[in-house]
Amino acid sequence: MGVLEGAVTYANLLTLLAIGLTLTYITTSVPNFAQGSFAIFSSYIAYIVYKLFNFSPYFAAPFAILFGGFIGVVTYLVVLKPLIKREASILILMIATLAWDLILLGMIGIFSESLSKYFGAYISRFIFPYYLDFKIAGIQGIFFSSTLAIALSLGFLMFLLYKTKFGIAMRASMENPSLAEIMGINVETTRLFSWFLSGAFAGLAGALLPFKQEIVQATGQIIIVSIFAASIVGGLSSIYGAILGGYLVGLSESLITFWLSKIFGTSVLVYSKAVSLAILVVTLLIIPGGLVTIKWRRYLWRSRR
Amino acid sequence: MLETQGLSSGYKELHILFDVNFKAEKRKITAVVGPNGSGKSTLLKSIFGFTTIYDGKVILEGEEITHLPPHEKTKLGIAYLPQTDNIFTELTVRENLIIAGYILDEQEYNDRLELALNVFPELRDKMDRKAGMLSGGERQFLGIASALIRRARVLMLDEPTAMLSPKFASQVFERILSLRDELGLTIVLVEQNVIKALEVSDNALMLIGGKVAFSGTARELLEHEKFERFVVGYTL
Repeated sequence: MGVLEGAVTYANLLTLLAIGLTLTYITTSVPNFAQGSFAIFSSYIAYIVYKLFNFSPYFAAPFAILFGGFIGVVTYLVVLKPLIKREASILILMIATLAWDLILLGMIGIFSESLSKYFGAYISRFIFPYYLDFKIAGIQGIFFSSTLAIALSLGFLMFLLYKTKFGIAMRASMENPSLAEIMGINVETTRLFSWFLSGAFAGLAGALLPFKQEIVQATGQIIIVSIFAASIVGGLSSIYGAILGGYLVGLSESLITFWLSKIFGTSVLVYSKAVSLAILVVTLLIIPGGLVTIKWRRYLWRSRR
Repeated sequence: MLETQGLSSGYKELHILFDVNFKAEKRKITAVVGPNGSGKSTLLKSIFGFTTIYDGKVILEGEEITHLPPHEKTKLGIAYLPQTDNIFTELTVRENLIIAGYILDEQEYNDRLELALNVFPELRDKMDRKAGMLSGGERQFLGIASALIRRARVLMLDEPTAMLSPKFASQVFERILSLRDELGLTIVLVEQNVIKALEVSDNALMLIGGKVAFSGTARELLEHEKFERFVVGYTL
């Protein structure tokens, strides 16, 4: 896979994950440190479905999406809702997701090790071989499928939020939950659905990620750095911000690391996450509110004068 | 229609209301007045379910509804318009009205929307404008229009004229009267503008320090021998 194709593919998947993180942050004010593990657990589900039925791994994506949505719902109902009811602070909720992330890591470990025994092969570390993917004009299918995945997800999300009554209710609940209750909206239902969606997006990203990189049990803990960087760089409280941040961080992480490896050698590749963090720090210093707070129209108007 | 019996409530450990007996009669306007911090807004919030109830009951047409969640009370026809943040500023006027009719089916929503827009025609040409861009008066109209759409039988308004110019405030009072006279709504009105509120109201409740200091008709309160002392800041 070419460098640019790889970078776009990674940025597509990172954006999907960042949108999920932002969605639950807006609805429940919880910075979810387990978002990466939602995706990686779903990657294992996709791999198991592929191993069981031996179809193209793409057919496993719906299972991974449903599983991701399921973990999202369980996370909200079992871990967060009881704490929110007790009026836990954002710090407590954040630490709770960190703890939950470690529990999920353990569960991923048990799951993958048990299945290694069942299949008689080591599956704790895997990647979808390139021959399982299709190609168009010499370009790996994952480039097209990840682009299609983000386009469909965004289309679905925008349609839901702006064209359906339930979606408008979700936006209303995000802006002012008390007033939404006054209007007769069951805010709990909108929160629960946002956790399902967030998990489902992570599940979709998780189903596609093994086409791009090797998956190990702790991949979720590694990728969460980039997911947070993308969300915060964009402006943690905006879906549009997550899209901007996802592409900026995703593309930069891949391309800058690649260019650095040309200069300093391939040993630089293991430090790719440092690029995300550097972008995060610079953005917070220059634009503390994130990219979404930049008055683009004003700059465009000035540049035209 | 709507009443509280021995209601004691507050915010967690902060006790605000003490043994409040209140009654809003059908198709009448009941003003709730009192000095700052007397618990007027807390009474509305307690009725709607946003406070901690220590004791007492909230009753709607004979049925106890004390511990129903707010969205269930909305379904029963109680509409509460908070003093601030009573519209969704990030949504358009149209979306605000759609959300107001969240619990209705499409036919009923369309009927109620037409009714609300007839009462507040100034909203018609601003349907696609972000609600945050509306003027203070228009925001109040949108807030009340939203309450009308959600099949309100009881409308609880918390200082609907706060921060409005006298001209807009008069318009809001006119509309409140028409809601009672033309649509037959039961209205509970919390107002800082005491004299104006009592002039448009049928009944009145005065709270002082979270306790009922007066309950009767608005005219009785207006003509109370110590009323002027109250208006300038003393208690009855």
